[in-house]
Amino acid sequence: MNLITKTTILYLLVAMLVFGIGGVVTFYLVQKEVQKETDFALRDNLDQIAEELAEGIPLNFIKRGKVDITDLGILPRDTFNNFSDTLAPHPYLEGQMEPYRKLTAVREVNGRYYQVSITDVFIETDDIYDVVVDIMLRLFFILSVAMLFFSFLITGWLFRPFQKTLEHIRSFNLKEEEILDLPETSTKEFRQLNAFVAQMAYKARRDYLSVKEFSENASHEMQTPLAIARGKLELLLETPALTDEQLELVQSAQQNIDKLSKLGKVLLLLTRIENKEFANNQEPVDFSGITRSCLENFDELASLKGLPLSNRIEPDVHLIVDPTLADILVANLVKNAIRHNVPGGWVEVRLDAEKLRVRNSGPAPRVPSEQLFERFQKSRHGDGSLGLGLAIVKKIAEVNNFQVSHQFSEGVHEVTVRFHP
Amino acid sequence: MKLLIVEDEKALSDNIRAYLSRGDVVCETALNFEEAQDKLLSFDYDIVLLDIMLPDGNGLNLLRLLKRIQPETGVLIISAKNALDDKVQGLELGADDYMTKPFHLPELNARLNAIFRRRKFQGHKILEFQEIKVNTDTHDVHVDGKLLVLTVKEYELLLFFIANKNRVLTKQAIAEHLWGDNVDLLDSFDFVYQHIKNLRKKISAEEGADYIKTIYGLGYKFSADS
Repeated sequence: MNLITKTTILYLLVAMLVFGIGGVVTFYLVQKEVQKETDFALRDNLDQIAEELAEGIPLNFIKRGKVDITDLGILPRDTFNNFSDTLAPHPYLEGQMEPYRKLTAVREVNGRYYQVSITDVFIETDDIYDVVVDIMLRLFFILSVAMLFFSFLITGWLFRPFQKTLEHIRSFNLKEEEILDLPETSTKEFRQLNAFVAQMAYKARRDYLSVKEFSENASHEMQTPLAIARGKLELLLETPALTDEQLELVQSAQQNIDKLSKLGKVLLLLTRIENKEFANNQEPVDFSGITRSCLENFDELASLKGLPLSNRIEPDVHLIVDPTLADILVANLVKNAIRHNVPGGWVEVRLDAEKLRVRNSGPAPRVPSEQLFERFQKSRHGDGSLGLGLAIVKKIAEVNNFQVSHQFSEGVHEVTVRFHP
Repeated sequence: MKLLIVEDEKALSDNIRAYLSRGDVVCETALNFEEAQDKLLSFDYDIVLLDIMLPDGNGLNLLRLLKRIQPETGVLIISAKNALDDKVQGLELGADDYMTKPFHLPELNARLNAIFRRRKFQGHKILEFQEIKVNTDTHDVHVDGKLLVLTVKEYELLLFFIANKNRVLTKQAIAEHLWGDNVDLLDSFDFVYQHIKNLRKKISAEEGADYIKTIYGLGYKFSADS
């Protein structure tokens, strides 16, 4: 339910309450006014009768349908006016009683006392009630229709800036350089919202860029000296007459430089994944194809290690994920399965629409499953691994809302990536 | 081959020059954008080795300039940023190849040779090393006129050797050339040894001489000297 519908309904509820109370008040006011007017008419009538009596018109002439006069003689008594409600038979409808207003008065005219009683038709309470309710219902109906109609008209107009802001936020991309162009609006709340959104966007973009720039620069500053060192060693190798011992020293230095360089690259990759530098892809990619071609790359290496690499890949598994990251994800899992294996072991990769599962034979892990995904967790030292493969897998899973888990039982490792946890 | 090395890091530039000058490459260096621009405007080069992060300008602008004035010159981009954008943009602008730092110098040499072959001979080049002839267009290898049937990896290995003849190639550099970044998988470099053994066997089966010299504990050298 949108905001306008909600407020409209709320307003109508309040209007209902107001109309209810208003109806009651109107009812009493009208009733009071009617009574006042009736009483006024009765008193008027009484004055006229008193005048007629004073003129000496005989009682029989003065007595009319609703007027009754009794001569009380000359004995002094209290004079008074007394109004009361009474019921009398309806003049036309047989057997129906009708409420009447009755004035009973004692008056002194020319030294004689008379008791006069006049009745007059009285507008019935339930008539007033009916009319008031009728009026209130009609008004309420008109108000409701008008409010609903205008609220729908207004939603479009009043909320246009808001909708536009939403659109901008939805299509906001950290990587693009164009500034967030939010529409001008005269509504104070929307202006505040826009200012806030623009500020957030600016900050997010600035943070994104500074992390990106820093990691790129750090990488550059680190890789350049490594490239130089590596080159120097390669030049050293070219010098004639190096002893075996010297060659071995150079070789070892080279290997460690390679390791350091790879470490830098992997850490940069982790930072870039964390900084969502890959998250711009919204199109589904063919995960089956990526997995298949990735496995092809590893086929040779696996067979060189004597590990059968079997797979069951369902075709047409499409996922919204960055293709580069998808490739890294699969490659890291398979690489891991090949590395942490045993002689005569095997690797099996399965993919369906729900999950990617990599199973392999291997030695028992030294740390609990959850810790395997932490950075720098190595099963063995000195096997050339950096201990970052599963950390990358976890990070990629995180930014894509995949769920990754590891199990080990009876010499079999099983890593599962669920795409829709 | 005439090469211009555009690289602001002098030590790295020196490395490359020292390494390549031992072969048949004539190297010149430019240490910044301006110097590179001057040299590109004044001389012709076969290949330009271009670092795109220069202190006084973006290397991609040099690439644009070069493609305008000397479109037939080959370009190999080297960058420490493994940024995909740069790679894609560089290749779109007409660079022939892209390498990230740090790289093995033999790898650089092999790639420069490949670019040179493509540029100068449109790929139709017969590489010759003694009695071995490699047609890089059809991928045919002949030893003494007899056709050699090689796997893709063996072919790549042979090409890598010929491009880096008379140079020491570590098992690492060879492995990385053949398998790329996945090379850290290899617990040992036995696989390199396997491929080299097969290549040797195939060449000697056709009565070719064994030019692959083993350097104990380190790697190999492809050389006609004994």
